[in-house]
Amino acid sequence: MSVVAFERKQDSGEWSDKELSALVAAFGAALAPGTGREWETGMTERGDAQFYLLSPLPDQACELCVSRIGGRYVLEDGLGRLLFEHRNLELVGLHAKAAVPSTSWLMVRAITLWCAIRSTIHERVEPLLVDEELFVQLVPQLAAFV
Amino acid sequence: MKRVKHQDAFAERPPAKAAPDAKQLRKMAGDWLKQRRADAEMSQADLAARLGLKYYTFISQVENGFSRVPIEIMGAWASVLGLEQAAFARHLLMYYEPELHRLLFGAESK
Repeated sequence: MSVVAFERKQDSGEWSDKELSALVAAFGAALAPGTGREWETGMTERGDAQFYLLSPLPDQACELCVSRIGGRYVLEDGLGRLLFEHRNLELVGLHAKAAVPSTSWLMVRAITLWCAIRSTIHERVEPLLVDEELFVQLVPQLAAFV
Repeated sequence: MKRVKHQDAFAERPPAKAAPDAKQLRKMAGDWLKQRRADAEMSQADLAARLGLKYYTFISQVENGFSRVPIEIMGAWASVLGLEQAAFARHLLMYYEPELHRLLFGAESK
């Protein structure tokens, strides 16, 4: 009789190499060189593993945290808001990837900057255009008088 | 739940000589919070439950020095630990925003 060895899911203790690889892969883009981000691991007092995605220097605060509690993976942000939880780490990794603040934050910054530039241009150029419009309308009338 | 005397609980200060970075200061705040929780004879799970958190992992996140106590729950955190809210916030400010703490409370409280 042959016995199929199923891989036993770890419920507590340190992260396994496989789990760590999955987490680092999920945060691959966020941890790319140049982003300044780092990651660290820690443990709760009950011995549940935690993975912290840290913001760049100087603050190096937790942006996202994945914890394993009783075989369940919990994704939280740095303010303790529960973002997602599941038994499947890959699924949690996908949500973690989407939750990395920088992408959306940079997009928001870029859009805000673009709107500010457009608004400034509009404010500065529009009066000039109005003046020009008046000039265009007045010139033929003035010419008619002359 | 064991109550802690405020003057004792808030006696610990960051070292005056060194200028620790934000991460170190958060870790010191975390250690202080962990001690206050131990004084109140509560587990991380107890504290989380009293704060209405589904999981206790955020308590660990803060105590390990990776996050701050959010302002929105700072008062409740203090109350659950049996500490005076204003003194609790003031003490945490010393770690989280040392310069602001210095400006507000001066060198006398260092």
